[in-house]
Amino acid sequence: MRRFILPLAFALIGLILFGQGAYIHAKALVAQVLLERAFTQSIATGQLVKPWSWADTWPVARIEVKRLHASAIVLAGSSGQALAFGPGHVEQTVDAGQPGVAVYSAHRDTHFRFLKDVTIGDEIDVTRSDGKMFRYRADRSAVVRFDQSGIDPITDKYELVLSTCWPFDALTSGPERYLLHATLIESGS
Amino acid sequence: MTIYDACESSPQIRLSRRMRIALFFLVEGVAALAIGFAALFVSFDPVWSAELPQQAVLRPSDARSGSLLFKTDDGYKDALRLGIDVDLTVSGPTVRARVTQIFRNPTKDWVEATYVYPLPAGGAVDTLKMVVGDRIVVGDIKERQQARAIYEQAKQNGQKAALTEQERPNIFTNSVANIGPGETVLVQIEYQEPVQQNGNEFSLRVPMVVGPRYNPRPVVQSVDLRADGSGWGATTTDPVPDRDRIASEVLDPATNAPVNPTNITVHLNAGFPLGEVKSHFHQVKIESLDNTTRVVKLAEGPVPADRDFELTWKPAAEKAPSVGLFREHVGNSDYLLAFVTPPSVEQAQQKQLPREVIFVIDNSGSMGGTSIIQAKASLLYALGRLQPTDRFNVIRFDDTMDTLFPAPVAANSANIGNATSFVSAIQARGGTEMVPAMRAALSDTNHDDADHVRQVVFLTDGAIGNEQQLFETISALRGRSRVFMVGIGSAPNTYLMTRAAELGRGTFTHIGSVEQVDERMRDLFAKLENPAVTSLSAKFSDATADLTPSALPDVYRDEPLVLAAKLDKLAGSVEIKGRIGDRPWSVTLPLANAAEGKGLSKLWARRKIADAEVARTTRQATPEDADKTILALALEHQLVTRLTSLVAVDKTPSRPDGEPLKLSELPLNLPAGWDFAKVFGERPSLPATPTERRAEAGDGKVQLAALKRSPVATQSPGTIQLPKTATDAELKMVAGVILLTVSLLLLVFNRRQTSPQ
Repeated sequence: MRRFILPLAFALIGLILFGQGAYIHAKALVAQVLLERAFTQSIATGQLVKPWSWADTWPVARIEVKRLHASAIVLAGSSGQALAFGPGHVEQTVDAGQPGVAVYSAHRDTHFRFLKDVTIGDEIDVTRSDGKMFRYRADRSAVVRFDQSGIDPITDKYELVLSTCWPFDALTSGPERYLLHATLIESGS
Repeated sequence: MTIYDACESSPQIRLSRRMRIALFFLVEGVAALAIGFAALFVSFDPVWSAELPQQAVLRPSDARSGSLLFKTDDGYKDALRLGIDVDLTVSGPTVRARVTQIFRNPTKDWVEATYVYPLPAGGAVDTLKMVVGDRIVVGDIKERQQARAIYEQAKQNGQKAALTEQERPNIFTNSVANIGPGETVLVQIEYQEPVQQNGNEFSLRVPMVVGPRYNPRPVVQSVDLRADGSGWGATTTDPVPDRDRIASEVLDPATNAPVNPTNITVHLNAGFPLGEVKSHFHQVKIESLDNTTRVVKLAEGPVPADRDFELTWKPAAEKAPSVGLFREHVGNSDYLLAFVTPPSVEQAQQKQLPREVIFVIDNSGSMGGTSIIQAKASLLYALGRLQPTDRFNVIRFDDTMDTLFPAPVAANSANIGNATSFVSAIQARGGTEMVPAMRAALSDTNHDDADHVRQVVFLTDGAIGNEQQLFETISALRGRSRVFMVGIGSAPNTYLMTRAAELGRGTFTHIGSVEQVDERMRDLFAKLENPAVTSLSAKFSDATADLTPSALPDVYRDEPLVLAAKLDKLAGSVEIKGRIGDRPWSVTLPLANAAEGKGLSKLWARRKIADAEVARTTRQATPEDADKTILALALEHQLVTRLTSLVAVDKTPSRPDGEPLKLSELPLNLPAGWDFAKVFGERPSLPATPTERRAEAGDGKVQLAALKRSPVATQSPGTIQLPKTATDAELKMVAGVILLTVSLLLLVFNRRQTSPQ
């Protein structure tokens, strides 16, 4: 029986690691379902609704790229905990539809996996929790360091930036970020 | 036997073992997923509470995410936004400043905006321009009441109008009427100011925020009945009759992002080869064009208007020029500006008189935070510099007052030790009743004692609204005392400091950070310990001159005497005479050699107006006479004063009849380093709806560029940090699969090893 101990130990560790990885994806998927429900309720009632009772964040917007059938509910704040459940609205940036740059960030391997398929010219729809929808057009992408984003937060243009880690298929996290810049083309419906 | 059995039944056993392994994997996988899902719903509470302190550290800039709960769309839209651009050009002895305020109205209403802002106390405001779309409307100088009437009329008619009024020589208010929904209106004012010089160092200062002022309450009960017994009298008037005009809403930095972003550019043309150029409270980029000119810009782009901007520069040569003479021809007159630094006589040559020094420290609530630390450090430094032959006393005040010793005492080590522990224990809180403290400091118990020089060193931020009462106290009680003002903190009231020092025949020293304490206090003590240049007079040989300041002040070590004069002709010379200690000193300057300067007439007029205001305070002139002089000077030289305002009205009406107009008073930042709770009391437990009011400096850039000859400085990259956006999910899954494969291979390998037997 001793000859089974080593392979079984490997199998166990392997399963735990795989499970943890799967858990991250599962959490991202399940949370989005709950968030979608809370967000719909937010729009209907006009009040901020927490997705589950002990959450300390709440949905603030929905990002949609119709061409790719991709959609995600954005949470307030971009702390590590919030990003596990959905894209985060980066602190100190404006809301969508306000003059300035609205910055949304999400993990490259969960909610913003679709970002690598977005091409220049794609339309990105952002629905705020007050029900107003703003349509942006992607006009530029860039790869920057996380602390040198080059984002000018007090511009008077209406801009949107979606950010995620770069490169897309790397296994470890690095200092580089991929930015997709978009400009408002239609607002307020 | 067993081995044989195993060989015999191997196919079935192998199959069932494979089944078992597969089953094992399946069960493990399901278990792992189940645990994961359970964790999602169960185990997150403790994890999040453990992470919470991190969020607290991020405040106040992070306040936004916490405030979203309360934020309503309406709250956001109520906010009028403001951006400020300051462009300064230094040419030799003068500074020309152009301050552009960008009012942006993102709301759906028509708005009237008012903004209270500070300017240097010696600044002569002479230009107002309003930019609406591509039209530029230039303002006219009018008597204050008349300007107000014109503005109100335009406001009623729906025309865009701008009004610049002076509340104090260093506090102004801009009002802009009828800013339409979504519109941006630019208001630009320009002022002229002399460069400050102290020894080898030249400086300019741009105040950026009016600190909240303490306004003593009116004592309405007390009535002054006339002494003649006629029974008629007057109630005591409010010490701050215009308290509403100098008070703005101040945002609590803990719950609000800073507002009113400001951009500053300085074109420095010193007129001599430059040595060190330094900004004391802001990060700057300095470009060197040639050896006498520099361009100074903010390194990080716009900054919130919450502290003064100070720039100093030194000549490359060891000694600064000790004489500067500049002229300007306007109308039929020549105007002259002279800087003369008397030579410093070494201490050894002079018998030093012992001193009686009264230290006064302001420990009111507005001094809370970093200011009180600076004030205490300065005072402790000063105590350490006293000589055993000196006498001293210490007074501290807020809305109460303590005097350490009943009368000034000898500066022996016991008394100094006593004072040191008294000062160390001082805490900042309460109101600012400055007048009783000044009165106590000026009450001279041994005024027959000619052996001691009496000096009052007054440390404060000057955050009071009843400046005039303080000036009256000083001019009435100063006697033989000299008052040295030490301005503390990020945004001190420079008007109070300079005027109080002038009336008290002393100097004004500014300390803006703890790092400056040593250097600036050393400078101050050089002034206190060395004899002043006294009995100064100036005589023109040929020209008839209208000189200001009319009574030349005493000049302390390293300070220049600054003279402005209006001359009928530029001929002959001017002789300046005085005494340094007990030795006579004189210097003669030929006028023909004066260099061309800009805006000197305005500086002369501004200085004459200040003279008239001083004469009014000291009762050397009746209020009516002083006001007449001020009005005539202001109208001739187009200056904003207490009695005159600039008003600009756009001829085309823009607000349709029937649309209501809302008043919006722009909030101010709390000056940097101030403690909100100390000034305004404890915060209410539930913060008021914090609304996002971040203004935009970039607004109306196009119009601004049209107005300015030099292009707007481009903003440097923002400081937004992007969060980490990769999980280790894939890494873990890949590692998991690799390990599973390895274990599978090992199992197969084990199996192979055993099967041949």
